[in-house]
Amino acid sequence: MTDLQTPPPSVGAPESRRHVLQARELTLGYAGADIVHGLDLTVPVGEVTVIVGANGCGKSTLLRGLARLLKPRAGSVELDGRPLSQWASADIARVLGLLPQNPVAPDGITVADLVGRGRYPHQGWFRRWSAEDDAAVEIALAATSTTELADRTLAELSGGQRQRVWVAMVLAQDTDLVLLDEPTTFLDISHQVDLLDLLDELNQVHGKTVVMVLHDLNLACRYAQHIVAMKSGHIVAQGSPTEVITPEVVLDVFGLPSRVVPDPVTGTPLVVPLGRQRS
Amino acid sequence: MALLERDPAPSTPDERPDTHSVIVRARLLRRSRAILVTSCLAAVAFVLFVGTMMIGSFSVNPWQVVTATFGFPETPGIDYVVRDLRLPTASTALAVGLAMGLSGIIFQRLLANPLASPDFVGVSSGASFFAVGSIVVLNLQGQWVALAALLGALTAALLVYLLAWRDGITGYRFILIGIGVSQFFLAGTGWVLSRADVYNAREAMTWLVGSVGQAGDTELTVLLWSLAIVLPVVLLMSRQLATLELGDDTAKALGVRVELMRITLLLTGVVLIALATATAGPMAFVALIAGPIASRLVGAGSSALVAAAFVGASIVLLADLVAAHALPAQLPTGVVTGAIGAPYLIWLLVSVNREGRGG
Repeated sequence: MTDLQTPPPSVGAPESRRHVLQARELTLGYAGADIVHGLDLTVPVGEVTVIVGANGCGKSTLLRGLARLLKPRAGSVELDGRPLSQWASADIARVLGLLPQNPVAPDGITVADLVGRGRYPHQGWFRRWSAEDDAAVEIALAATSTTELADRTLAELSGGQRQRVWVAMVLAQDTDLVLLDEPTTFLDISHQVDLLDLLDELNQVHGKTVVMVLHDLNLACRYAQHIVAMKSGHIVAQGSPTEVITPEVVLDVFGLPSRVVPDPVTGTPLVVPLGRQRS
Repeated sequence: MALLERDPAPSTPDERPDTHSVIVRARLLRRSRAILVTSCLAAVAFVLFVGTMMIGSFSVNPWQVVTATFGFPETPGIDYVVRDLRLPTASTALAVGLAMGLSGIIFQRLLANPLASPDFVGVSSGASFFAVGSIVVLNLQGQWVALAALLGALTAALLVYLLAWRDGITGYRFILIGIGVSQFFLAGTGWVLSRADVYNAREAMTWLVGSVGQAGDTELTVLLWSLAIVLPVVLLMSRQLATLELGDDTAKALGVRVELMRITLLLTGVVLIALATATAGPMAFVALIAGPIASRLVGAGSSALVAAAFVGASIVLLADLVAAHALPAQLPTGVVTGAIGAPYLIWLLVSVNREGRGG
């Protein structure tokens, strides 16, 4: 593994790899009504940002808009100050990676093969597979502890393993920004924590800017450096978890009366819901 | 590499120093298997291609077939039998099989469903409707029928695409609408046939079953040229296709221009199946079965495009051999491919349902 000990001469200064993603007066929608209305957001560079909100508040839509899966109806998403529409799609793909909510894999595909497909934006019409691609796949597998699974087919894996493999694919894409749409949805609690630890590591150790949509407020508070709370297509509050997650905001965003106490383990806010009967 | 630049720390040199070589070896193994299998399939197709030209009321040895085919001087008798009598049929079978196999796997991969072959999603029945209409109503013949078939295939494909479009294309929607469109054209074909006089109806029926013997020179030439153009294009696009298989969202996130690539690939698939159908009629099931056979032989994950083309060619050549020589009466090729394909379809439906997968 000589690659790992002697990094190749860097391509550009490290600062130039710190990319800024911004939404400006962004309006998004599907066939019918607008879902996100004139929203402004600057993704903090090098931090973990978590978007929270009730079902249908537009958080996944916003993420899809940020990842150019959805064209803005008005406003724009800018990467390094330039609207995404002015970028070549492959250039964006080398800077910004996305794990969609329901990724699909062809039947019988092996883990190594799937992760290798993350290398697409680094290849060209005639420049096919290279040693660099092999190295990237290997690093991605190692970072997600899926090296042992490399030869297995995706269908054989458990839900938790499968999600790690998808993260590995996004890692192989080798982007500075990583966007994830509800990556923990189909996982049990231990695999949720497992995956979030992995993403935290990617941020802390590998310096990636992570933006994700999460449902679990308490896990969001624990892993996010920046929280964006959304309600009906608008940002209600954003900032550090302690600033944002207050009983007032939780009531406003989720319509849920609650008490917020410090998490006994991390000290981050812990939302304790007050039910109707048991409060 | 960004990971490396920022992160010399987490590398753990002590763990599995040979991971790298293991991964590389697995990839090379996968690739060499794909290449080996594809070459074998090409060889099978070639042997069958030569084989069909050897057999008949006048037997020719393989060497004579090869020399005569590639234009080296042979005795005039053999030249005549091989080049004038047997080569047109054999090359039609080869070209039609290649085109149908390739078209089938493009559709199946693109729509992520083994049922999504062009025979099922209306393309072939569109071609049939227009071809039969041109024979019965307009009294056309030869390459004009082929042209009508081409128009029909394109019309059907366009219709399905437009009807299935809703912020993108999903496999299921495309297939269901394709089946509907297919039924529409089949009903149309039946209606036209029921109003035809006996002579025209017979000619139309022959066309509908599909036979490599019916091809005219013009259609064959057009098909061969299109194959020569389309094959390299499809090979260049196999990387995009592999990415599109991961779903629109992932493909877009990886920088694929999804709509453009999908339309281009679908269009190549439609043109291929349309020209093949125009040349030899809607040869039942070839496009459906070639792809899955090739995928299984090549191994999952590898691009089985070329392999599927050769499987298609082998099926049609074999079916032609059987249809022409192995049975007491000479049959149209389409009858034989249908007889092979129908049990496969039933098996596919049964096994897909048992596994609870989409299909």
